[in-house]
Amino acid sequence: MSEALPLGIDAALLGVEFDSSVSPPVTAQEIHEYAASLGESHPVYFAPEPVAPPTFCMKFRGNRFSPPALPRRAFARSFDAGKDIQFGAPIRAGDVIHTSNVLHEVYEKTGRSGAMVFIVSRLRMKNQRGEMVAVIDSRFLIRGEAAT
Amino acid sequence: MSVERIDIGDEIPPLEVVLSGDDVRRYAIAANMPGQRFHSDEVARKEGLPGQILPGNMSMALLSRMLNEWLPQARLEKLGVTFRGIVRPAAPIVCSGFVTDRRPHGEWVEIDCDLILEQAGERRITGVAVLRLDPPAATAPRG
Amino acid sequence: MILDLHVHSKKSEDSRATVVGYLQWLLKKKGVLPIDGLVLTEHRQFDADSDYRRLEDEYGIRIFKGSEVETDYGHVLVYGVNQPMLERFDFSNVRLPAQELITDVEEFGGIAVPCHPGRPTVGLCEHYQTKPPLEGVRAVELLNGGSRKGENERVEELLRRHGYGAIGGSDSHLVSFIGICATEFPREVSDEEDLVRALREGGYRAVDFRDRLKGP
Repeated sequence: MSEALPLGIDAALLGVEFDSSVSPPVTAQEIHEYAASLGESHPVYFAPEPVAPPTFCMKFRGNRFSPPALPRRAFARSFDAGKDIQFGAPIRAGDVIHTSNVLHEVYEKTGRSGAMVFIVSRLRMKNQRGEMVAVIDSRFLIRGEAAT
Repeated sequence: MSVERIDIGDEIPPLEVVLSGDDVRRYAIAANMPGQRFHSDEVARKEGLPGQILPGNMSMALLSRMLNEWLPQARLEKLGVTFRGIVRPAAPIVCSGFVTDRRPHGEWVEIDCDLILEQAGERRITGVAVLRLDPPAATAPRG
Repeated sequence: MILDLHVHSKKSEDSRATVVGYLQWLLKKKGVLPIDGLVLTEHRQFDADSDYRRLEDEYGIRIFKGSEVETDYGHVLVYGVNQPMLERFDFSNVRLPAQELITDVEEFGGIAVPCHPGRPTVGLCEHYQTKPPLEGVRAVELLNGGSRKGENERVEELLRRHGYGAIGGSDSHLVSFIGICATEFPREVSDEEDLVRALREGGYRAVDFRDRLKGP
């Protein structure tokens, strides 16, 4: 056991892949429906061989958002606190998306709702050509008794 | 919008929408978000929420749509947001933003923007985006 | 001289603003935001390394450094941060003892100012309902640009009851929020030590520029 982070999380878990996934090929219909559900109007999203809106990449989240070793009680009161996305190659119909997820950061602070711990996961996404599609840092906020 | 005319302090044309519960459900299905708080008032209330809410991802996507409608030829390089409060259907949502930097890199230009999503007069989401604008001839299919 | 006394740059984990971004914005908005300088008060840390002198000269805007720390009475801005303070207190500790911080920072030549006192949990007002008032507080942040409805208003009563001085700061985490609240001093402020002197002298007031801006 190495240095403990907030919630007693083992610092050795940082940066270690805890999940990976491979999607079925993206269909044109999926992209059309995603764009339509947002009220998007750009013609490239609705072409027979469409390019997906950039935020379409958030559809691919892998199998789990945190390492299995993290305390389950904590996530019973967790909230999505925000995301930072770096976009790479656009997703097109026919693409197969590979995801790899690591625990990126754990830190604590206090805010309006009291003690809070933030758990940041980093999801890397590539397509079947090995091109970077997106890197998404997701921050989960754990608050209340679970965070103290 | 001409790239040359974009400058620090410019306001991004706001996007105002009112979404129905069905609109949110449609997005949640299309975006693979099975969490029932995005689908049902009843389940959301059981979770202590006032009713059905928008997925944070949908709010981000609306900010992205605002940018897309402002500069359809631009490519979104980065999008980062902080969720400060819940966003709900059946009430006006106002997305807005400002240009905060403009960096020429030879033939292409990067534009930084601040982003704000408000509902009921409160800032529910704040964030930033980086857009890349290539010269017209080099503009590839966007994404 | 008007200073925004509460500003976060990217060095704070929840801010997405660069210092250059702030300066460019202030230059652009000079007509509506008459801000002469800003104090970078990064969360739970003191940035001893960054040197902003070149940027100060380029933009004609003063850049001072302080910190925002977290205590058992809520969040507190610390001005005039120096080595003895950093050795005395672990700024990354989210449960610092407020009374010791106020007293010792003062003794080490600085000043500690509770910020957003009207905010739930991390503001002074709520703590004063259940705990004795802190001794040695000279001022609190009356105007905070990140406050929600009613939070700044709660501070008026605190000022009346305890006779605290009132400062203002944007609590900006994004470029376009810089300078929306600030503090007007009756004289020039030359550096961090002089800022402490100016805050101890009094005669300053919190100023609100939000009505001048169409946006935030």
